[in-house]
Amino acid sequence: MGSDKIVQSTGKAGALSEDDRVFLQGVVERNRAEHHGRVSYMDIMFELEHHYGNSLPGEVLGEVARLVGAPASQLNGFVTFYTMLSTKPRGRHVIRVCTSGPCHVTGAPSIVAELKRLLGVEVGETTSDGMFALEASSCLGICGVSPALMIDDDAYGNLTSGDLPRILAAKRGGGDA
Amino acid sequence: MKMFSTQIIVPVDSNSVLQGALEVKHVLEEMIGTYNLASQVSVVETGSLGIYDQGVVLAVFPDDVYYGNVMPSDVEEIVTEHLLKGRVVSRLAIDRNLSSRRLVEKETGKSQQKIVLRNAGLIDPQSIDEYIARDGYEALAKALAMQPGEVIQILTDSKLQGRGGAGFPTGLKWGMVAKEQSDEKYIVCNADEGEPGTFKDRLILEGDPHSIVEAMTIAGYATGAHVGIVYVRGEYFMSIARIKKAIKDATEYGLLGNDVLGTGFQFDIEVYRGGGAYVCGEEFALLESIENRRGEPRNKPPFPPQQGLFGKPTVVNNVETFANVPPILLNGSDWFKSFGTPSSAGTKVFSLSGDIVNRGIVEAPLGVTLRELIYDFGGGVKGGKHIGFIQTGGSAGTVLTDKYLDTPLDFASMKTSNVSIGSGVILVASEDVPLLPFLAEVARFFWHESCGKCTPCREGTLQVKMIMDTLVNRTADPASLQRLGKLLNTLNDTSFCGLGQAAPLAFESALRNFPEVFDQALAESRVPEACQEEA
Repeated sequence: MGSDKIVQSTGKAGALSEDDRVFLQGVVERNRAEHHGRVSYMDIMFELEHHYGNSLPGEVLGEVARLVGAPASQLNGFVTFYTMLSTKPRGRHVIRVCTSGPCHVTGAPSIVAELKRLLGVEVGETTSDGMFALEASSCLGICGVSPALMIDDDAYGNLTSGDLPRILAAKRGGGDA
Repeated sequence: MKMFSTQIIVPVDSNSVLQGALEVKHVLEEMIGTYNLASQVSVVETGSLGIYDQGVVLAVFPDDVYYGNVMPSDVEEIVTEHLLKGRVVSRLAIDRNLSSRRLVEKETGKSQQKIVLRNAGLIDPQSIDEYIARDGYEALAKALAMQPGEVIQILTDSKLQGRGGAGFPTGLKWGMVAKEQSDEKYIVCNADEGEPGTFKDRLILEGDPHSIVEAMTIAGYATGAHVGIVYVRGEYFMSIARIKKAIKDATEYGLLGNDVLGTGFQFDIEVYRGGGAYVCGEEFALLESIENRRGEPRNKPPFPPQQGLFGKPTVVNNVETFANVPPILLNGSDWFKSFGTPSSAGTKVFSLSGDIVNRGIVEAPLGVTLRELIYDFGGGVKGGKHIGFIQTGGSAGTVLTDKYLDTPLDFASMKTSNVSIGSGVILVASEDVPLLPFLAEVARFFWHESCGKCTPCREGTLQVKMIMDTLVNRTADPASLQRLGKLLNTLNDTSFCGLGQAAPLAFESALRNFPEVFDQALAESRVPEACQEEA
């Protein structure tokens, strides 16, 4: 993983409310049932990231560690390893623009440049209004329609620079492009 | 099953959804209702047809007419003209010369040999009944009536090799797990497809998820395992949903669970997700990830068949490998060996990407040449341009000139002709794409994806990236190519796992096949003064 992921304190959040605790317990218990007594950290973290706005606050990780009976350091080690998880606060929408071979060959460099220009941020940064985090991604597995990107769970393919303002505007407005 | 006189096939996969397939399907169903055709025409959702650059595609059977680039506003015309009046809407009909499948079958007599993709694009992947109607779960029933050893023998005889890239004999692997004495064993399906340019496993999972459920259950019976785990990469939302539905339906039908097909054999399958880490395609890193740890590889030996998931004997096979299993059991090992080459039996699913006319997946017998894949199936280079370079096998694969077009691709081609088959990536770059920035991106990829466990890979991939960047920026120092060569050898010889060991392939092959590109970059380089002082 990139060097920016090696050492990092977990994100900030206020003390957990009673609602948070009940919610977290529910998430862990549901997961335990689905995996026949084991748990999948990944499933839990995806659900929590979704719930807490695309990042995993330290307090939340601490509580989950308590619930699954693991050291908080182990959980922190886990979440800082995987690209899709973040302990750093990120924008409301995470843009993952693919830069791997097939997308590179069909125009990813100009897509990345145009995204940087439109959003006014570098790769790895979040826009000042907190709306978009721009991330460069390894292959997304939709090479049949390269160049491609994903925003949150939605994929967009056969991109040209001209498509980007419409896609961003639609996301900004809360709908689909 | 109710009989309809006309069927309209709508391929719904992640690619076609992007192009509006679900809206088209919705409007189509509405129109069929509006025009009272519901008793005669059925709309069938299916997996990918392998046609990509034609927008939303509809296929009308038995008329055998394909429509491309269909917009919701076109649907009424298709319904009123074609379905009601029997007149093909020619403005939307796909030019058969553009559809690889048609072109190939008509003009060269070549057609795809579909074993793995036997159902993709033909059945509704969410309907267990349609899978069963196409001999689905018959191989499982056949296997359960045999001794486990006989099942493994058929696979061994078939010479099926792993389709994830390493080509390990599947029968041998299953046999190793079967002979281990253990209270618990596991069957793991590696669906963490991350090799850049590979999207075949996604389309198998989306187009025919029951084939994986069936094959894993057979593997469980053959090796004495009772738990299967599918590890799917996190971004594959549709694959995850479809395999989960297939598992649920199979359980309801008694094809999974405590008493599979009434034989008393017990087998269950769970789905785990990946988190965006290429290294988790390495089998031990994948197992670590399922065990809720960082995806870092383990020491070998022991190998997973001896000590795998939770330290228990484990089969880890790729999606495509599993998809081959039911047809082999049904048709026998000799049938399977009738496809392919003496060293490599069966077919391979290739993912065609880049500057190619028909991007998509193609299944062809092993031994197929790059020329057949790129020109016959792929329709050639976009815009009639020449090939600049081809990368086969993935980012951890070889970079080739068009001199390799007639090399047959199989599991031996790396040894015999330095052409990697890997996971079946065929990435074509036209003459307009500069090679060095592409290689710099490949270097960046390995640097980013190195897990950091071992020094050669963690530091070596960074050094490769830095040298590639200086070649791109024309700031390379004269000794950089020697350093690069040495570095690549070190990476290959001393890296802990396959990631670092295979990372040099692209650069080594590019140096061998395009020496003039590197020499030119070196000749044009000027070392910045600040760096000269240090040297």
